[in-house]
Amino acid sequence: MATFVDRYPEEAAVVRATFVVAFVSLGIGAFFGLIQALHRTGYVRILDSVDYYTILTGHGVLLALVFTIFFLLGLFTWAVARSLERPLPDIRLTWAWFGLTTTGATLVAVAILAGLIPSLGVSADVLYTFYAPLQAHPLFYAGLTMFIVGTWMAGADWFLAYRAWRADNPDDRIPLQTFMVLTTMLMWYLSTIGVAVSAVFFLLPWSFGIVETVNPLLTRTLFWFFGHPVVYFWLMPAYLLWYTVLPKLAGGRLFSDPLARVVFVLFLLLSTPVGIHHQYLDPGISEGFKFIAMTNTMFLLLPSLLTAFTVVASMEHGARQRGGEGYFKWLGALPWRDPAFTGMALAGLMFAAGGFSGMINAGMNINYLIHNTLWVPGHFHMTVGTAVALTMMAGSYWLVPQLTGKRLYSRPIGLLQVVLWFVGMVFMSNAMHRAGLAGVPRRTAEPQYQSFDFSTALGSVGELQAQIAFGGFLLFVSVVLFLFNILLSSFETPMESPVDDSLPAPLSGAEGSPLVLDDLRLWTGIAIVLVILAYTLPLGSIVTDAGLFGDSPGFPVLIDAVAMLKEVVA
Amino acid sequence: MEIHAYEKFWLAAALLLIVGLIATVSYGAVGAGIEMIGDEGGTVDPEALDDHPKFGDPGVYESGEDEYDVYVVAEQFAFRPGTSDPIEVPANSTVTFHVTSADVIHGFEVVGTNANTMAIPGQVATFTVEVDGPRDYGILCNEYCGSAHHAMEGTMEVVPEDEYDGPEGGD
Amino acid sequence: MSIETTREHPERGDDPDDRPPGYVVGSGPDDVERELSHDEFDPIGTLGIILVYFVILAVMWAFMYFVEFLGRGITVVG
Repeated sequence: MATFVDRYPEEAAVVRATFVVAFVSLGIGAFFGLIQALHRTGYVRILDSVDYYTILTGHGVLLALVFTIFFLLGLFTWAVARSLERPLPDIRLTWAWFGLTTTGATLVAVAILAGLIPSLGVSADVLYTFYAPLQAHPLFYAGLTMFIVGTWMAGADWFLAYRAWRADNPDDRIPLQTFMVLTTMLMWYLSTIGVAVSAVFFLLPWSFGIVETVNPLLTRTLFWFFGHPVVYFWLMPAYLLWYTVLPKLAGGRLFSDPLARVVFVLFLLLSTPVGIHHQYLDPGISEGFKFIAMTNTMFLLLPSLLTAFTVVASMEHGARQRGGEGYFKWLGALPWRDPAFTGMALAGLMFAAGGFSGMINAGMNINYLIHNTLWVPGHFHMTVGTAVALTMMAGSYWLVPQLTGKRLYSRPIGLLQVVLWFVGMVFMSNAMHRAGLAGVPRRTAEPQYQSFDFSTALGSVGELQAQIAFGGFLLFVSVVLFLFNILLSSFETPMESPVDDSLPAPLSGAEGSPLVLDDLRLWTGIAIVLVILAYTLPLGSIVTDAGLFGDSPGFPVLIDAVAMLKEVVA
Repeated sequence: MEIHAYEKFWLAAALLLIVGLIATVSYGAVGAGIEMIGDEGGTVDPEALDDHPKFGDPGVYESGEDEYDVYVVAEQFAFRPGTSDPIEVPANSTVTFHVTSADVIHGFEVVGTNANTMAIPGQVATFTVEVDGPRDYGILCNEYCGSAHHAMEGTMEVVPEDEYDGPEGGD
Repeated sequence: MSIETTREHPERGDDPDDRPPGYVVGSGPDDVERELSHDEFDPIGTLGIILVYFVILAVMWAFMYFVEFLGRGITVVG
């Protein structure tokens, strides 16, 4: 049968729906990003600086949570159905989780964007980290909770599909893509406990006024219990594409299936007991716990370093099969005219650079140097903003035709798009890292102060701002080209085989690798033990300090804004 | 299961890198003596800072020869002291900061230096720095704290010892 | 190992009207000239690239830690 949409028409419809939500969020989020890049550098300020934080909240939530996770929901649905070679057990369950996640995401978006219209009395300018005691409208926390529960249902859907497959194939190894989906979801179940407890037991009752106060350090710690693993939840779809699709696009085969499994197991084990590395400079958490979190974080580099080798080796295999020779000359034999390949390869290259700034972020005491400076968003625009986002866009050029049965509208526009993204990000993130070293803070509408100036080791602040604004502009143009290309592709006429969707077997297969790799119960058990070891004592001491519900009343962001406006007028 | 020799080599190199990174940070902690902000600062009631012996009258306190304690309250959208009055300390002294928040989470960053902490209501962030020659520093809030977050700034003045006229905080 | 050494690669039209039906993005296997199995393939280029990466990481880490961080004016000592 021709392609995915012909084999699994019902699943393809769900995947298309998740991609539509993802791409709409991408468009809005990227537009907000452009507004921010021009606003904070002082080039164009179309909004009041008070509204900058509404736009910033929208940018973070729509891109980091909605775009990435809806793409993941679609990609994982595609991966489970195609690698198990069977439809999902009950498509009504699939549509149910789509409905719940979409409703939740919509409520969150409404709560945020309502902040632009003060007369509505709704605001959620709390940024995507929603640190209490800044308080958003209850709609924000309720929508977030629905969204998380929806992702849990999606995971259940994929586990049920796996169970049905296992009943028919008692002795087979778990197909690689399904293995990746299941380990990622196990990590997700474990880590979302933190944000779910924070939202349901503390923030939601507090925003409704049922409880008076919160313990800000507790809700912040629970956020980061979830907030670092979510990074890997963004990244695992990119890894799935790098491991299983990129080698094929390069004209080769995956170098090693067992090592891919080892990598995903390591992410399941180590993604969660590391969140305290976001709190190196928090009072109330002792240095020892910070050191433990750092050690875990540093070992979490291992799966990514192994991935770098395996993925580059798979590309080299492709290049040599295509006639590439020499130590490095083979790089020229790769299919650089293919936007799906080039986008993913550039995303991987950017991830290598982001890996470096991530090492700095992970280093405990060196955190004093860069904590909450522009260095940090410089880092994650290379990782989630390029390694993940660019891989997703590039992957779409290969995936969307399988979901629609229609060919891509334009390959050259796709190629231009992925290269523009890469170039734009080189300008923007490099300048952000350098500005961070000069002490320029993140998350601010106007990093221009009255009583002092920033000094840079090389160049000038003006030059850095120009690079940030220019890079941000290129990134926005890139997203417009992407959406335009995908939109026009939907008007192409359906055809028998719009894309070559076959995936060759790995060079070194799963057979012969230790069976224990596929023992999901064992790995989940160890992961839980590691989380208990890393978090019991710090959480215990935080609760002992100020109690479960603390003594901080809420500071609703809406009243802030009104007070501020009065101050400005007066 | 075949693992290529190069891949085994890279695994070893990657582990070496990781151990090297942890070793560097440990050297910074033990050799260079850089301590992390921890839980030594204790807790305060963010609703009753005015009744606190030090945060009730925040500022610079002399604690020994060439040693000073600086109590700073961060609040929407100012540092006390720092914003209206600069934090003033003499050159070549040891300064211990005690930073807390009266309302939401803030950041406290002495611009261009490693003095950087979170200010969390209910918690006191305590850290000690050595200041050298006279110089003016900027201070800013580096955690989003509400609609005028970008206006939250202050200054710290390190003045020559002979021009320093004593700490301002306390009585 | 080469199945064929030279092969014509007609430029694929980029204009939608020129594109042959079944036009595919990323049709890697089209250009595959030979099949290499696991044992016939030594990722020597990968090893070289990854070692260069290793050196860059180590040098930049040392610079950031010892120059940018420890070299700063006011540093936290306790």
